[in-house]
This record gives sequence, structure tokens and C-alpha cells, in this order.
Amino acid sequence: MKGISRRAVLKTLSAGAAAAAAGPLAGTAGAQQGNAPDRLPTFTGPGANPYWGNVGPVATYPQKVPLLLLTDRPVQLETPRYFFQTPFTPNGAFYVRWHLDDIPNTVDLGEWRLEISGNVEKPAKYTFDALLNSLPATTVAAVNQCSGNSRSRFQPRVAGGQWGNGAMGNALWKGVRLADVLAGAGVKAGSVEVQFQGLDRGKGPEGRGSNAFLKSLEVSNPVLKECILAYEMNGEPLPMLNGFPVRLVVPGYFATYWVKALTNIRVLEKPDENFWMKTGYRIPDTARGTTTPAEVKAGTVKTVPIGRMPVRSFIITPDGETKVPMGMTVNVRGIAFSGEGRVTRVEVSEDDAKSWLPAKLGEDLGAYSFRMWEFAWKPRRAGLHVLAVRATDEKGNVQPDEGVWNPGGYLWNRIERQHVMVGTENAGGGR
Amino acid sequence: MNMGERRLAPGAFLAAAGAVALAGATLLYAQSETGDYEQRNLGALAQPSTPAPAPGAKYSVGSYPLYWPQLEPAEGKDSDRDLTAGYCNACHSPRYILMQPPLTHDQWAGEVTKMVKTFGIEIPEADQTRIINYLTAHYSPETRKR
Repeated sequence: MKGISRRAVLKTLSAGAAAAAAGPLAGTAGAQQGNAPDRLPTFTGPGANPYWGNVGPVATYPQKVPLLLLTDRPVQLETPRYFFQTPFTPNGAFYVRWHLDDIPNTVDLGEWRLEISGNVEKPAKYTFDALLNSLPATTVAAVNQCSGNSRSRFQPRVAGGQWGNGAMGNALWKGVRLADVLAGAGVKAGSVEVQFQGLDRGKGPEGRGSNAFLKSLEVSNPVLKECILAYEMNGEPLPMLNGFPVRLVVPGYFATYWVKALTNIRVLEKPDENFWMKTGYRIPDTARGTTTPAEVKAGTVKTVPIGRMPVRSFIITPDGETKVPMGMTVNVRGIAFSGEGRVTRVEVSEDDAKSWLPAKLGEDLGAYSFRMWEFAWKPRRAGLHVLAVRATDEKGNVQPDEGVWNPGGYLWNRIERQHVMVGTENAGGGR
Repeated sequence: MNMGERRLAPGAFLAAAGAVALAGATLLYAQSETGDYEQRNLGALAQPSTPAPAPGAKYSVGSYPLYWPQLEPAEGKDSDRDLTAGYCNACHSPRYILMQPPLTHDQWAGEVTKMVKTFGIEIPEADQTRIINYLTAHYSPETRKR
């Protein structure tokens, strides 16, 4: 692969520019300043992970390009930075996170049913064909982000998958409205929550979190009206590892609610007290969900279930691997999103978040989608620059420059930075 | 599937097995094949074998690859290493150890306690102590090498 890309570079650039671009890649100088893969550590810590993604090995899985391997049973895979150059994340590169190890390898659509039961007038079982053909279809562009995305930034570090920034993805989801299915079943008075379950099971005893993964949303939560039971992802069937044949889409919410390989919707008369609601995926009931290890130890932290995603933005290119030649305009590009609503502003800093300039926003694909942004940056001096990016959403939420800390490793949304070295125009240098 | 690679802790979930089967009968649809994993070698770009698509309503991706981790010490026999990996492997791959950041003795103790008290695996107290000491000896901020 390396040879092919090098040839492509030589073909498209002038000889002088090619020499400048290829220079830092060759020999020890490049290795010292770049993120050459053979120089990555095999783990990071106890300090914060300084890399964009997880530093683990790559592995190939069914329907997937090679992704960063966190665990193999159950499967947890992170999307490399490269795949966030487009507003929709390719299905083959979309990250994977299962909680329990007994996950589907084969789904028989002749047997598969989506069952709605519990406190309803008319319990029902939908076949796959019925979902496709008997209810109106709708689409939504929505970001699916793991609650623990960027957990490896936490200080002190917390246990759990040490995701870099790649436990997220954006897709165009097509399916039927959850509201239509609930209306068809007739939710009875006295209902408090709607519970979701998929095909995954674990080896633990029944009644424990190690046996079944169950998530619930309150009946009164307005997000239920926006939820989709998706059978299509970016115009294709869902990959098996992303929840084939049907996945719950909860726009704006962290992915923990987006139950994969969905089979059961239960309307509950009592709050769901299973592990994944009562113990797991809870955040401190504080501003930004942040607390301290001391408060956790003292047992004084009141918690609530995690919900919407705070506003975030990322620099995707340049990635700092090569030097940028002085005199060239650098197209700084990336993505932004918020679970609270549409991104209305993205700003870029070339001085380590001291001053800010507006970036140009890309097409608005919907309130819960990635929004691309770009910024034409002409470095005014050679040397090291610290670029930064911050986004603002329609509710007025602005990304802060402070991290958070909570024992689950959730809700990271600090301003992101990218170091970029700008080279001189000639070997004489001396600017 | 290569069962030889699945170093199950014997008896850890004998009680649970029946419950899982029962749940399967009442709740699960379409589980003609689940939890199928197969040992592979990490590093190669070899594609997982994809079964030739067959007609009908069964949609399959074949087995998922397993990559048994190289746990410390990398060479030689180590009964604490094998004991730890065996208990981990009852529910999940021991690669979960490598997924974690370096954790202190108290953090590892918290993880083991969670597996026992919250998730329900049965581990005799003496074995719990061995597991916690093994993990601290190789995977703490002071000791972790890779």
C-alpha cells in the first residue's frame, strides 16, 4: 500500500513539492516527528492517551475494513480517523461495540420477529416484511456515538474500553417510526417506560447484567417521537455487527440506547431496574456530568441515566503526520455535531485556543448529523502550530476547554487540538 | 469453532446454563447461529472466511475471529496467568485485560468484585486474591510493560 500511495503522490505533485512531502516520511527525521505506526506504544497510560485513536492492533471482521481492535469476544472495534473525512461514515468502517458475547452470526428472517408487548392494548409481532411494507418509511441522518468515546482522555484513567475518538459514526438511517408501532399497539394508561432488547445474550445468570442487555426510555420522553426502527443504514442493510436486521435509532442520544438486532419492545408499568439502567451508563447529576474520585469514594454522587450527547467537533485533516510547506494554504477540515440540536457555528484557532476565527460550515444534513466544516489556513510563520476547533449548537452550548471526570468515562467533549509543523521553503531556512 | 482455545472455567456457570436455554426458548428469534467465534492470528490481513451466500431467509456472516492475547509473562508456565485468563474467558475474552488502562491494585480489585458480585461469576476468594495480585503484578501503572 505504501508504495502505491507514494507513486500517486509523485504523479500528482510537482517534483519540488513531492520532495518536500516525501522528505519527512523517510528516515529517522520522519519517525521522530510523525506518528509512524511502528513507533506507537501498545498501550497508553497512566497519562492521557495522546493519540487520536486507540493504539491497539487492527483486525478484520465480517463486513468490515480493518478496524482498531479493543476486544474480540464480545466484539469492540474503533473507527480510524481517516474515515471521518466524509459526512456519512461508511458501513464497513463503522465502529462496533457489543456488551455480551452471544451475538448473532446468522439471522433467519423467516423466524425473526419484532415483538411489542407489555402494557399495551394489542400486542403484536412484526415480520421483517411487515416492517418494510406495511408501515411508512422515514429517514434520519444521525450520529451514533458510544457513551465512552474518548475515555482514554480521562485523568485519572478509568476502567473500561480505552476508546480514542473513533467510537462514533454518522449514517443515514431508514426505517419505520417507533411512534407508529407504539400507536398501533396502543400504549395503556399507567405506562412509564418502554424497554428494548435485541438478540444478544451473555453467559451470566438470568437477571444479571451479564445475561441480557436491556435499555429503556421514559414514555414521556419526546425523543420517542423521533426514534426509528432502522432496517437500512446508508442505503444498505445493516452490517451484522451493527445490528442487522433492525436497530433502534435514538437521534441525539448516546448509542447505549440504540439497541442492535432488536427483537423486543416492552411497555413497562414500573421503572426498569435492570443493571444497564440502574447501575450501568449513569452519569453524575451535575453540570457536564463531572465529579471527582474523592466524591465518588465518599458516596455522595447522585446519578441519572446518560442521555443526550454534548456538542463536539474534530479536526480530521491535517493529522500532523507530515510537515506542511510554508507558503501553502492548508485546508483544515473536520466534523461537528451535537445531541442537543443543530451545529450553528464552528471556530478554528491557530494559537492553541487563545483566539478564534469562523470556519465554513458544510451542508446541513439534519440536526443530529455530522456537519462538515473547513477552514482555509495560511500559516504566517514556520514552526509548530497548535490548531484547535470548537463548535456551538443551536441551544447555545459551546465546547469548553476543560475535560470532565466521572467513573464511567462518559461525556468527554473538550476542545480538540492538532499540532502541525510548518516547514521552511528552502534548505537554507533562516526565517 | 476451536473449543480448545476457549479455556472455560469449569462449573462457573453451571446454574446459569439452564436459565439461558430457557430464555432462548421464550425470547429469541432467529438465533440459528450465535456466539460463533474462531481463533485467528492477529497481524495478517487475511479476510475472515465468508460462506458462499445461500438462497433462503438465513443471513450469515460466518464466525467472528478470536485473537487469544499474549498475557504476561509471555514465556513459560504461569499458573496465575492461566487461572486469570480462564476465569475471564468464561464470559469474555481475556483481551479485556489489555483493553484496560494500567489499573492500580484497588481498581483491579474493584473489577474482580464487579465480576463476582454484579455479574455473578463464582470465584473462590483465594482465587480472587490470586487474580487481583496477578493483574497488579503485570498490569498496574508501575508494572505494565506492553
